[in-house]
Amino acid sequence: MKFALIAACAATLAAQAFQQRGYLDLRTTFFPQTAANDSGRVIADTLLRYEVSAKLTPWFKLNGAIDARTDTHRQTERSGRFDWQDRGFLRPALSFRRFSAVAFKGPVTFEIGKQFIRWGKADILNPLDRFAPRDFLNVIDNEFLGVLAARLTIEKGPHTLDIVLQPRFTPSRTPLLNQRWVVLPPDLQIPLPLSQGAPQLPGGVQTGARWNYLGKGYEMALAFYEGHNHLPQVDARFIPGRIELFNRFAPMRMYGGAGAVPLQWFTVKGEGAFFSSKSADNYLLYVLQLERTIGEWTLVGGYSGEHVTDKKTLRDFAPDRGLARAFLFRASLAIDTARSVSGEAAIRQNGQGAWLKSEYTQTLSTHWQARASVTLIRGGADDFLGQYRRNSHAILAMRYSF
Amino acid sequence: MSKWIIAVLSAAAVAQDARQIVEESQKRNRSNTQQYEGVLQVFNPNGKNTEKRWQFFRSGNYGESKALLRFVNPPEVKGVALLIVNHPDRASDQWMWLPELQRDRRVALQDRSTRFFGTDFSYEDLEERDVNQSDFKLLGEETIEGHACWKIEATPKKGKSSQYNKVVSWLRKDIYYPVQYEMYAKNQLVRKLHYRRVEKVSGVWSALEMEMFDIRRKGRTVLKSDKLQYNIPLKDELFTLQSLRRGE
Repeated sequence: MKFALIAACAATLAAQAFQQRGYLDLRTTFFPQTAANDSGRVIADTLLRYEVSAKLTPWFKLNGAIDARTDTHRQTERSGRFDWQDRGFLRPALSFRRFSAVAFKGPVTFEIGKQFIRWGKADILNPLDRFAPRDFLNVIDNEFLGVLAARLTIEKGPHTLDIVLQPRFTPSRTPLLNQRWVVLPPDLQIPLPLSQGAPQLPGGVQTGARWNYLGKGYEMALAFYEGHNHLPQVDARFIPGRIELFNRFAPMRMYGGAGAVPLQWFTVKGEGAFFSSKSADNYLLYVLQLERTIGEWTLVGGYSGEHVTDKKTLRDFAPDRGLARAFLFRASLAIDTARSVSGEAAIRQNGQGAWLKSEYTQTLSTHWQARASVTLIRGGADDFLGQYRRNSHAILAMRYSF
Repeated sequence: MSKWIIAVLSAAAVAQDARQIVEESQKRNRSNTQQYEGVLQVFNPNGKNTEKRWQFFRSGNYGESKALLRFVNPPEVKGVALLIVNHPDRASDQWMWLPELQRDRRVALQDRSTRFFGTDFSYEDLEERDVNQSDFKLLGEETIEGHACWKIEATPKKGKSSQYNKVVSWLRKDIYYPVQYEMYAKNQLVRKLHYRRVEKVSGVWSALEMEMFDIRRKGRTVLKSDKLQYNIPLKDELFTLQSLRRGE
């Protein structure tokens, strides 16, 4: 009986379509300047990422991904526990980046579990990405976090309807108080030491729906979200002997839309959303960009704007709005199959802040790839980008892919 | 006057012949679906070569086909996929799936002369063109690699965009299958495509190896097809954005 079961399992495993990929990333970041709360100039990061998917039947698939990481700057937990939520201050040393089951039949796809949900069509800034919290420990070089959700997608002809239910909230990971990406105003007089308190994570369910339409020569989408902002408002409370800062996540409702129209000379992409909240700002955030390929160059240029209709928030951490009222640029060149260069920039329309990044990538062999990038940040202390002007940095990285 | 009319009429007849030959070629090699595993070897002018492997699926025919291409090697591009939806009356729609970003991205191809993933094929070279998008002219007959061929010139019809102002092809007279192509931009030869290892697979003549030369770059790319199959059942759902995202 036991043998028959093992044989049946083996047969199932052999029959399934199994795919795997992953990489080991070794990265060193150099900061030429120290910051008021951070004397570190060099940070080394190591990340091992392994992704696997198994199609068990013609209509059912399992996806999984694990991360194992460490660094020299106490940005990663030192415990060996396996994290599945990604809700802590620090990056977990071992975590499930993704685990989900996908069932699909005809035009219907249903995915449940930890997954990535991207709704935006634009580059650099995506107001529609409400189910896409990020790890902002390094504000500029951030990456997406998975969310625990159920997602039903129905694609019928040119129409796609996406309905998402996220029963457990995943916040964006914000910079650490004792590190350079938290910049306190230089004239701030605080009689007591500051500490980072536990965030007030909301309960309840986040819900959203998106309808996408592929027209003849254009593409458009409408989206709705009701839940909490994954980016926090920062609040303070007095604790004997110290002041504790903590994150709160305001409820919000979003009505948004996006479109892409390939024209003869440019592809026009636009994305915008209106956000309303009882306890946070009400505002419109939008981005309009033009994209063009010329030979091996891909060029993107655009503008991101914001219009606040009701100002309520005193202090928040909002990198998306921090990129608003700015001109955005991206350029990439595929030199050949092994080498590429790219550049990105955000320049505030009032000239008070600028972020420029350039990157060179070279494939060294079938498995090894080298990257070098330089990020320059300039601006005034009152500007979201400008406040990080001492955080310009260079990165050297090697990646072994398998 | 009558001589002039005869000349015009015979020119029209020759033009019709060329178009009929191309139509017959497309008709004979028509297949409802296609699937293969491709190996791309890119040889740079400095002699270095890189290799990429992909899986390719196609449904439909010239001008109305849909194709899905998914890279399986090298590891850095494993999982990257491209969905191409061809239209008879306009340029194709293309979306790329980037597994690392977990998002699809519409490929903006105003300039379809862009090299496909750094190879010597351009995005336009991967499109399947409907016969109605070009005008054809029979330039004569030549023997290529021991095969008697028709030499046919195709020029884009007015209003149809292409990086090439003309494409000259050599079609084997015995099997109506191409042997080589020469692509011209501004009347300068810019690319040459050779078809090799021509075999009949599932009743369809197929080149199991293609070699593209980029004259300006002095590079070349060899595309080899393995496990080639035609007219196998492929579901329409395979050629959707959902399928692209699911990584099928």
